[in-house]
Amino acid sequence: MSSDSVYKAVLLDHFHNPRNKGELDAMDMVKRGSNPRCGDEIEVGIASSNGVLETVRFRGRGCSICLASASMMTECTSGLELQQARQLIARMQQWFSNPDNEAPPNENLAALGTIRQHPARKKCVLLAWQALDETLDGIEDQFAASNR
Amino acid sequence: MEPVRRKSDLPQVPAAIDFESLRADFPIFAASRQPLHYLDSAASAQKPACVVESISQCYNHGYGPVHRGLYPLAESASEDYEASRRTLANFINAAGAEQIVFTRSATEAINLVAQGWAARYLQPGDEIWVSQMEHHANFLPWQRVCTSHGSRLRIIPLDSEGRLDLEQAEGLFGQKSRLIAITQVSNVLGTINPIGEIVATAKQQNIPVLVDAAQSVGHMPLDVQDLDCDFLVASAHKMCGPTGIGFLYGKTDRLAATEPLLLGGGMVDEVNIDNSSWAEMPARFEAGSPNLAGAIGFAAAADYLRGIGLQAIEQRVKELARLAYEKLSSVDGIRLYGPGPGLDSSGILSFNIDGIHPHDLAQIAAEHGVAIRAGHHCCQPLMQRLGVSSTARASFNLYNNEQDIAALVAAIQDAKRILGYR
Repeated sequence: MSSDSVYKAVLLDHFHNPRNKGELDAMDMVKRGSNPRCGDEIEVGIASSNGVLETVRFRGRGCSICLASASMMTECTSGLELQQARQLIARMQQWFSNPDNEAPPNENLAALGTIRQHPARKKCVLLAWQALDETLDGIEDQFAASNR
Repeated sequence: MEPVRRKSDLPQVPAAIDFESLRADFPIFAASRQPLHYLDSAASAQKPACVVESISQCYNHGYGPVHRGLYPLAESASEDYEASRRTLANFINAAGAEQIVFTRSATEAINLVAQGWAARYLQPGDEIWVSQMEHHANFLPWQRVCTSHGSRLRIIPLDSEGRLDLEQAEGLFGQKSRLIAITQVSNVLGTINPIGEIVATAKQQNIPVLVDAAQSVGHMPLDVQDLDCDFLVASAHKMCGPTGIGFLYGKTDRLAATEPLLLGGGMVDEVNIDNSSWAEMPARFEAGSPNLAGAIGFAAAADYLRGIGLQAIEQRVKELARLAYEKLSSVDGIRLYGPGPGLDSSGILSFNIDGIHPHDLAQIAAEHGVAIRAGHHCCQPLMQRLGVSSTARASFNLYNNEQDIAALVAAIQDAKRILGYR
């Protein structure tokens, strides 16, 4: 096994002991992300109040990278303001699309950095983040509708 | 047209081949920094130096436009191109070289038959048959032509071991059946289908058969006159040749009934403002400047494989697959798909490990220098039949050996350790 293995201890910990995984019934908004190419399916749910993400949870199936990334995401985004969460998602996407962009968007996400060398798995990492982005769209749409 | 050699003229298979020494013919193994256990030949095979040299020789010493010039270099380029066609015709024992149409790929060859042949004759209510194990390349072109013509795409189901269940394919040889398009070897299960049997029965009802030979040409002896199929498609890069070239073989009357897919330079006889006429076969199907270096590399690959002997290659690969199947069968939590070792099984093995996603398995294998494929292998209808979204796949070719199998098993064990298989 090479020292630059994708399977860092942090990732494996999140894979084996996923945070905030399970039922989404109590969430305000749930969106699903899927990658039919490999059968990954993730649902992300959020509960928000006064513009703050109080809870971010997920459930689903996927490879270890997909599930670990989802678990790490829930930890990094719970408690953020909606706009801050949007910015983090954008920085995460940039981190994976621009090879020159070395710095992780958040130190707690640094372990995902090794996967940047494997473009085929970019979608595994970003699946949950895209679903979260869509839940934020959903919340904003709801807010806009209620103020119409 | 030069006469094509018959099967009886083919060189005899030597008694024993030292396959281990043949690895040296493939520069990639020596060039690799860490040991390379390449078990992804069903996706694309590695190239022997002679193939690369033939391409380099073409560009360095023999390059010119094909069928477009009167000076010596153009003439020799044209001759090299046509000689490559003859080599490939010989390779599959086609009755004439004009029955070989160069295409970009096996995929393009199937699309040519779907749009250039089937689309001309298909009527509402007609049926085209494929099997549940087809690659998308031999599925989607038929799905489209059936949809656009009000025809029906019918599926030959599989039995529990991944063999065709012909008894359950009611109407396969019936009155509505207009074409059977079927793979000779499954790119996922490794199943070798009984093409000869299918063609013989189809012929009694005058139903044409197209054979997707992408996984069989160059892997086993293949004789299109013996098979008696109407169309057969192949791809160079899966048989140690270059990427970007394949061919369509067709019986002369079938090709004569096929319209070209691409129109342009080189495929015409006469072009007028109001009407045009096409060139003879096979030029009418090869619009645009031909892929000379590709054709030369393709022929060099055929010569290389024939020099070793297709029967010997088939035996060697089957033996490796048998050994791999045996070793993998003893891995706790493994599920192997397909018929398993036997006469109707080739060098392709698909499997899953309980609780481990195939992508994780393939990534950890990569960290061990083991190249396997993970995914749906462009066979989503088959994945649906197997009840999975993806599998891991190991596929063998003549350059593989027992160490590759040991490395694969070690990688799987390591994946189980890392991902905490219990």
